[in-house]
Amino acid sequence: MSGRILRVPLLRKVAEAWPWWLLLLALVGVRLSKGAGFMDAYALLSRPFWPGSAQSEWLRSAQHLQDQASLQQLQRDNERLRGMLALDRSGAGRVSAPVISREPGGWWQQLELGKGSVDGLRAGDPVLAPGGLIGRVSSVTPSTARVQLLTDSGSRLGVWVARVQRHGLLVGQGTARPRLQFLENDTGVRPGDVITTSPASTLVPPNLLVGVVQSVNESLAPAPDAAVQLSAPVDAVDWVQVVTR
Amino acid sequence: MGVLHRQRWCGATGLAVPLLTLASPAFLKIAGVAPSWAVLWLLPWALVDGPASGAIAGLCLGLVLDGLHLGLASEVPVLMLLGWWWGRIGRRGVPIERSYNLGLLAVLGSVLLGASLLLQLYWAGQLPLVEAGLHTLVAQSLITGLLAPVLCSLMLLRWRRIADLRS
Repeated sequence: MSGRILRVPLLRKVAEAWPWWLLLLALVGVRLSKGAGFMDAYALLSRPFWPGSAQSEWLRSAQHLQDQASLQQLQRDNERLRGMLALDRSGAGRVSAPVISREPGGWWQQLELGKGSVDGLRAGDPVLAPGGLIGRVSSVTPSTARVQLLTDSGSRLGVWVARVQRHGLLVGQGTARPRLQFLENDTGVRPGDVITTSPASTLVPPNLLVGVVQSVNESLAPAPDAAVQLSAPVDAVDWVQVVTR
Repeated sequence: MGVLHRQRWCGATGLAVPLLTLASPAFLKIAGVAPSWAVLWLLPWALVDGPASGAIAGLCLGLVLDGLHLGLASEVPVLMLLGWWWGRIGRRGVPIERSYNLGLLAVLGSVLLGASLLLQLYWAGQLPLVEAGLHTLVAQSLITGLLAPVLCSLMLLRWRRIADLRS
């Protein structure tokens, strides 16, 4: 029977072109599966030519540059708006200073910096380290400055919990973790909340990272308080920036 | 007064106290607390040179150290008292060269110094957490007592030899 059919010339040609039918069937499969297999095969073949780590670094670098540019733009906007609100401090600059002596433990928590009044530092100037605010200048000599760390038991600083929009007072305890005291109940603060300087602050730069809430003592009367882990590593910092007025 | 204070180089070693306080070597700390270098220097000095010299040395050290710290708490009264007390012990008692004695005196001195600072800070309202002060007091006394037998005995022998030669 089959031999009789193949004797028909047209059908015979169709039967002889079976590889093409198979190819057509495969292409239909590719179409119906949205390219599955095809793309996988392409990926396998083209893997040696994929962009390497260098190109990935370039992309990251470009992204970093873009972030920096947008950050600078935002800072400029922020300064302009703060200037309009008369919240800025005219002539504020930053002076890098080396840490020449540190005493993060013991009776006093303090740093000695290798720059002083000759470089424009004055008592009360905020001191920044990589990671955020670490303290304020307590006294200066012509070539040195003494910094009272936020952990010192005499340190008091008004801070801001952005997530719950609450002010608090960061009080040094003489330990590595200062306490955050609130003025009202039901603060809603919980571990992990980020502490910054107040957005309306004129004594220290606004919106500077200070630390993270570690634990909250809700049972304390009349208002709860929280233990705070500072974000800047005071034990390891070798250079700091002093915001001069 | 003894003769040690007349030796300039012996007196000049007192400069090491503020320098070591500032340098605060990390390997000589317990739980982040440094020893009381003033106690470690004053103890052999007062034992050799007597109560008057010890009290004056305590005053000088205290004035310098007060200038190096935050706040108004002072180390002067206790350092003067310690200098005078140790000077009397050096004059009256048998020569103190045993490590045990030196270590014990250094621990007592460090505890007195720490307690005075603790009380001053507490009364000034600058010590919200007394436990932190107690931790500092215990750690400082411990490390001072551990270092005293090594450092103080060396200085004591050296200075006593110089004092014997000069007198």
